[in-house]
Amino acid sequence: MATVSRSQSPAPADTNGAAMAAVLGGGIGSFAMGAFVLLNEAGLFTAPALYGPAGGVTGRTTFATAVWLLAWGVLHARWRAREMAYGPVFTWTVGLVVLAIVATFPPVWGLL
Amino acid sequence: MLFSERSIWTMVHGIGLGGGALLGLAAALFYLYAARPAPSSDAETGSRAFATVTAFTAVMLWLTVIIGTYIIFPPYRVTPPPGTTDLIQFPRALILSNPSTAWLHAFAMETKEHMPWIASMLTTAVAFIAVRYRRTALSNPAMRRMAFTLLGVSFAVVTFVSLLGVFVNKVAPLD
Repeated sequence: MATVSRSQSPAPADTNGAAMAAVLGGGIGSFAMGAFVLLNEAGLFTAPALYGPAGGVTGRTTFATAVWLLAWGVLHARWRAREMAYGPVFTWTVGLVVLAIVATFPPVWGLL
Repeated sequence: MLFSERSIWTMVHGIGLGGGALLGLAAALFYLYAARPAPSSDAETGSRAFATVTAFTAVMLWLTVIIGTYIIFPPYRVTPPPGTTDLIQFPRALILSNPSTAWLHAFAMETKEHMPWIASMLTTAVAFIAVRYRRTALSNPAMRRMAFTLLGVSFAVVTFVSLLGVFVNKVAPLD
């Protein structure tokens, strides 16, 4: 009777660089979302509408998503083989996310 | 017809995908909280379930925001022709026509336009970690803490915007 052997799953990643790149990339993407919203509300930069019926939100969200993917890709390429300190990277990420949430909170726009 | 096409899309967006994402986020958070692997346990087995649920949740969130932006939002914001008195087919105009409901656009809908995308990005980051670091995602305290925080933020954001969506749909449904 033939036996079926299951190959071992890939070896676990030795370094945490790829994880930290994903985390900080998420923070940068979030911040980009907040920044595009604030810039739009302040009249400093208006992302073009990429789908007319939905309006400018399509440009803002697409641009922020592009920044997120770009930031993640660059960080991943630079950090994937490195061991990064958790504290500073995560602190920056949380800070960027907090700023992003504040920036996308409509009552804040009235302060501009 | 019992449900219009617009109404069905709204249900797919809010109940199907958004509800699925909320369930997934709750499950992932509970998993992180309750399923701490014992030193002698097979950590990979549990991590596979965690990776699956976070990846599922990330997909649900992306589908929710994309459908919300490109399919639900356009009919919501259509401007009624001049002289239109029955605004039932024009949710944004209907909401803004009454000072007591105007906040549902100025606050609720404006929040829903952008904030959920943040949750999608953060949940995707956790899903990536859960898949790539399947053996260590649950056993590494720092990684667990990061994942728990980011998923917690996503859960809070998605819960908040879901509630706002219920309010908007209650006053001006896409029928």
